Amino acid sequence: MILTILRILYLRLRNNPAELLLVFVMPIIFFSIFAGIFSNGIATGSDKKLRVGWISSHPTALALELRQFLDSNSLLECMSLEPEDNPEGIEETVMAGRITEAQRSGKYDLIVKLSAESADDRTSAKRPTFAGVRLVTDGQNPMAIAMVTAILRSFFAQKEASAAASGLIGTQSIQAPPGEFSDSGAVGYSTWTEAPEQPPGTSVSGKAAAPSDLYRANQGSDWIQTDPDGIHTINGISIVPKRWAIEPRTKSDSAVLDFEPVLPEKLVGNKSEDLDIVVENPQAASQKNPRIAMYAAGIAVLFLLFSATGNAAALLEEAESGTLDRILVSKASLFQIVAGKWLGILLLGCLQISVMFLWAEAIFSIQLFEHLDGFCVMTFSTAAATASFAMLLATICKSRTQLNALSVVIILSMSAVGGSMIPRFAMSDRMKDIGKWTFNAWALDGYQKVFWFQSPVSSLQSEVTVLLGSSLLLGLVTLFLSGRWKRGSF
Amino acid sequence: MTDAPARSVAPVLTLNNIRKKYRGREALKGISLQLYPGELLGFFGPNGAGKTTMIRCICGLLKPDSGKITMGFADDDPANPERLGLVPQNLAVYPDLTVQQNLEVFGRLEGVAGKYLKSRIAEVLEWAALQDRTRSLAKTLSGGMQRRLNIACSVLHHPSILLLDEPTVGVDPQSRERIYAMLEELADQGAAVLITTHQLEEVETRCDRIVVMDHGRIVADGTLSDLVQQTIGRSHRVILRFDRPYPTPIQWFVFDDDKTSATCSLESMKELPQVLAVLNQLGQQPSRIDVRSYGLQDVFLELTGRSLRE
Repeated sequence: MILTILRILYLRLRNNPAELLLVFVMPIIFFSIFAGIFSNGIATGSDKKLRVGWISSHPTALALELRQFLDSNSLLECMSLEPEDNPEGIEETVMAGRITEAQRSGKYDLIVKLSAESADDRTSAKRPTFAGVRLVTDGQNPMAIAMVTAILRSFFAQKEASAAASGLIGTQSIQAPPGEFSDSGAVGYSTWTEAPEQPPGTSVSGKAAAPSDLYRANQGSDWIQTDPDGIHTINGISIVPKRWAIEPRTKSDSAVLDFEPVLPEKLVGNKSEDLDIVVENPQAASQKNPRIAMYAAGIAVLFLLFSATGNAAALLEEAESGTLDRILVSKASLFQIVAGKWLGILLLGCLQISVMFLWAEAIFSIQLFEHLDGFCVMTFSTAAATASFAMLLATICKSRTQLNALSVVIILSMSAVGGSMIPRFAMSDRMKDIGKWTFNAWALDGYQKVFWFQSPVSSLQSEVTVLLGSSLLLGLVTLFLSGRWKRGSF
Repeated sequence: MTDAPARSVAPVLTLNNIRKKYRGREALKGISLQLYPGELLGFFGPNGAGKTTMIRCICGLLKPDSGKITMGFADDDPANPERLGLVPQNLAVYPDLTVQQNLEVFGRLEGVAGKYLKSRIAEVLEWAALQDRTRSLAKTLSGGMQRRLNIACSVLHHPSILLLDEPTVGVDPQSRERIYAMLEELADQGAAVLITTHQLEEVETRCDRIVVMDHGRIVADGTLSDLVQQTIGRSHRVILRFDRPYPTPIQWFVFDDDKTSATCSLESMKELPQVLAVLNQLGQQPSRIDVRSYGLQDVFLELTGRSLRE
């Protein structure tokens, strides 16, 4: 008997392709989607570079150098936010505007901002403090802050070390016979001592020269080199960061006795670690819980798709029971029936999303009412697209069972790729592009603009166009295909 | 097919040589039919005969390939049948709505609204004997009640033509009786009622006229006695059954293959005494003698054969 029961189970499964699809194909589809996402962005980071926006108030040498350093880093994709022609520098207000615009584009994990304070150091005689370096984040990618901070510290540490080494060598060269440096290949020495590009007010002679001045003076010379890993070498001898530097055991046993004022300890010091890197999050200043709003949107869109499809399935039930025939024989036209169903799903969808966000507002304070206009626009657009999509699925499918199987596969796939399950910012570019074929992605991007970037409604143009456009298109296709209800071909 | 008897009133529905190919085969092969006000027409045919296709054509759900469908009332466009009512074979009501709510929504869909809708709902509830169950969900009703509700939802707008597809499937005799009483009441009020069914007895006893359809054609049309006369030509039959095969032929009787049963058809009951006289002379008395009138079953089998259909 048990075998017979087992056989019934097997036969029913075999005779039901939709169920087979759910049992066997669905896990494979999902595995592939998640494998695609994780292998292309989240887990390995194989093709996921941090996208760093760059903006500096003045086009200084220091800024340029830092920019080049960031450019050379294989972990970063550095893009300038500066206007093409800014010889006089950029005003703070312009910078702020450009940063806001860049953040709203959603293209950047982080923005490095060099303010006037740090730029001014270029011309000062004092040692650069590099104060005023600001990392502007939208809070989406906390890892980006840590990574870029570390990279910046490394830059400044190497710079300190290079400067220290330059000072060391410069002092030694003044006191030692020239032949010594010639032997060691320090051919650039004379070049920098006579450097015409010496900044005014600086001295390169002996101890009077500050390490940074020495470094700057030697920027054009070929005996200080930086390899791709950012390690500076002088005549092939690498200058290690401070933490790995070996302190001379005694003053007497070293030729650097005379270098006392510029001992490595002092030169390199602890300055890079004291570096003042300020992290700014403009959204956080006026937004309490943007991340929760994103979760609410992700979940809402996912369940909206399911509920819309479930409601559209009523059309199939009506067709199967003959209720649709009865309605078609009544005064209602096919257009009115389809439009009525669509409108019902749309209104229910709007209500569903609203309830979700109201709950999020009540519990997590997502500041719904401060973004009510954007929320209404996005909710209507999303619900409209979802309603058309659900109606089309119901029109294509021949039975409720078929619709259930198909909708589960499509909706879960769309939600996985579109960002309802995994944040889109964590996806690779390719996955993000693929996600653009889903409603979820456009809806989430729109909600992100509203709640996270606090963009105005006008900035939702692309999302609204795509969602309402696809709603119209799918709606027209649904109307065209729904003629089959009248032909009785179901 | 026979011509319908001459009527004094104009038909409310006329089908003239309707042809329709459906799903690759010719489902209707030149159907011509007239339906009159106050008539209860039983539409009878084996599965796959084309009954449902014909009903869908009448409703405007399918467009005939050729031929013409004419409605007797003002709006003769079948695609906009304001005064046409359809009762689908399945329970075409919303199971999760109450009786009252179902009547309301289907009334509105038929263009009935306001106070008139309320009064019509009250009338229809009484007509369908559902006035005590107005607040019950449709899914909680018994099979018979659901069938009555199914019909009730189609008559709120006073249709001139009511098309019913198997309206009494799966209901008990009491409910069936009630349903036919409802339909007869509608017909008495002047509505033309067309019923497709497999219930021979219902058609025989309750319908004014019977149409038999097979392979997309109407093969018989008339009252039961007309059909019997047209197809069999005799009114009654006498059936003899023997316990063992009867060895010799019997006058007027035709034996079956195993010689245990013999049948004699009579033009009228006046011939019965002569048959009984023959039986008195038999050497072996039959174990059973049946005298029966020919019915729709006989007509149907005579017309459509005994081979199994879809």
